[in-house]
Amino acid sequence: MARVYNWQLGREMSYWYPAARPQRQFAAVFDTNKCIACQTCTLACKTTWTSGKGQEYMLWNNVETKPYGSYPLAYDLKLLEMLNSQQWNGREYAGQTVFESAPAGERVLGWRPEEQDFAYPNVGEDDCAGEVDGGKFLSLPHMNRFFYLARICNHCTYPACLASCPRGSIYKRHEDGIVLVDQGRCRGYQECVKGCPYKKVFFNPLTGTSEKCIACFPKIEQGIQPQCFVNCIGKIRLAGWISRPEQARADNPMDFLVHIKKVALPLFPQFGLEPNVYYIPPIHAPVSFNQQLFGPGAGEAMKVYRNAMNDPDLASLLCLFGSTEMVVPRFRRQGGLAIGSDEKGAEIVRVPMREPVYVRPAFDAKNQLVRINCP
Amino acid sequence: MRYTVLFVLLLAAGCARAPKKVSEVVAVSAAQLPASPSDAAWDRAPEHVAKMVPQDLVEPRLMTPSTPEVRVRALTDGTEISFRLEWEDATRSDKPGPARMNDACAIQIPEKLDKDLPEPQMGQDGKRVQVTYWRADWQATVDGRGDTIQDLYPNASVDHYPYEAKTLEGGAAAHKEMALRYAPARALGNLRAGPRSQPVEDLIAAGPGTLSPGPSLGAKGRGVYGRQRWSVVISRKLPGGLDVDQRTHVALAVWEGSQHETGARKMRTGWIPLVRRAK
Repeated sequence: MARVYNWQLGREMSYWYPAARPQRQFAAVFDTNKCIACQTCTLACKTTWTSGKGQEYMLWNNVETKPYGSYPLAYDLKLLEMLNSQQWNGREYAGQTVFESAPAGERVLGWRPEEQDFAYPNVGEDDCAGEVDGGKFLSLPHMNRFFYLARICNHCTYPACLASCPRGSIYKRHEDGIVLVDQGRCRGYQECVKGCPYKKVFFNPLTGTSEKCIACFPKIEQGIQPQCFVNCIGKIRLAGWISRPEQARADNPMDFLVHIKKVALPLFPQFGLEPNVYYIPPIHAPVSFNQQLFGPGAGEAMKVYRNAMNDPDLASLLCLFGSTEMVVPRFRRQGGLAIGSDEKGAEIVRVPMREPVYVRPAFDAKNQLVRINCP
Repeated sequence: MRYTVLFVLLLAAGCARAPKKVSEVVAVSAAQLPASPSDAAWDRAPEHVAKMVPQDLVEPRLMTPSTPEVRVRALTDGTEISFRLEWEDATRSDKPGPARMNDACAIQIPEKLDKDLPEPQMGQDGKRVQVTYWRADWQATVDGRGDTIQDLYPNASVDHYPYEAKTLEGGAAAHKEMALRYAPARALGNLRAGPRSQPVEDLIAAGPGTLSPGPSLGAKGRGVYGRQRWSVVISRKLPGGLDVDQRTHVALAVWEGSQHETGARKMRTGWIPLVRRAK
């Protein structure tokens, strides 16, 4: 194994291959506080990419009702149990990653989800969430519902799927860091399915190969955000390009949210893959739960987000989420406007941070009518 | 005395039924190569019992041994060579799916007749090996299992596939094109992506992780499961230069699907001498 630097762990770690960071890295920020679990993203992806034979159960994009929702079932809990209790020493991870804890004969610590694990797209979504006659239906360690967690492939810097494949059928594109399964080379061993801790690679039983989220690369190549981003009703998603921490730019939306404001955090950084989808943690979920999912920075990120109304630059960037179909590599605030632009500064979109407010009295004196409160 | 006679008789009867066992794989000449593993023609070939070991040289390794041995016989008509592999398997695994691996077997022969053999583990750079690979789920497809999700999961319910859109009815080419959009492995011509006309495929390798579709050696095969045992016939072109009384080598591998064996996780042999005899 090679030694590579994982900035999310604050230390070097072991990985199957030497570090080979791409020219630029596709990244995304999801604001969990805005997600309403409408699953429009899920359908947008499903319709676009996985409507074929053998793809019926595939959800390259899914939305889980946390704490219990998960697809496949308990994908997160199972691996956390396998890793056992691990510790952070401040912002440095003192525990072991899935690469460092690989058992003898394996490249990665992983497990194989079985058919039944794909039979429950979102446990918790329809379960009893409150009091019913005779008392609460379920008695569980957590509250029934904390928040909604939208998930796609994390297009990790150190992908476990890529490390697991004994044939080199999975590759990370040099031009954008998107991780793909070579459908011409894959022989369907399902090692990647076993290795990916996020379980975002799916075996197609009719083509005999494994398939995964492709970050809608045909769109990304044209500077357009993926399907699950542009169809998001809640406007929770923003795609972009993330730099290494030491190269962070304040005018790069990804860098600003992840490196500068540290309000967006990776999912399960302790697994060691340096995932590139970042989450603004849900501010109404318990801090300890958020820390398990998003690492030791979760509490601080929640404070930063709560204070966004007093942070005009952060507030302006949050206004750009879902504001345009295009990828916005640069942004700036101009007074009360959020302005997104391309890398050369050409404007793509401008959004007012505050919409004009009109107050109409309930009673219309001119027409002698009581107004009904609807648009 | 009576029991002794009985014992001797039983022993003699047993010996008469037992196949002739040899320390190498002997390919005996036959006018016609049998397609079926139960064909009586196989009785003419001596049986070699090959002990198997887990693949534990490269990750991912097989850490728990499974199939201990495979019995192999070989016949040749001078153009093709056929092998019959038989092994005990209490569980028939021929349905693909998440975490479902399939029973399989393969024969491996050096690409060139050379005394300096390639590494038995998938060959090596500059010394390639030819692999002919049979798999149980492909056999099921060839034997008539359909190419739909309901063939794998009879109770599966699917609302709609885009290629079934009414606007595409009557246009076979349009149907096919639309179906391929959602089957990228098939669109790219991945030979593994089926549907198949043969349950075997020709492959070539130059070391672990390099297995690729190889030049066609006319691979054919047929596997039959019964009495908790697989009997599989694998045929391919006779290795170039393997004349009568000439020798090359063969290595064998078996995958036990119920043990999640796939790819590098397999039971294998080292090189076994393979000799061609006139009879």
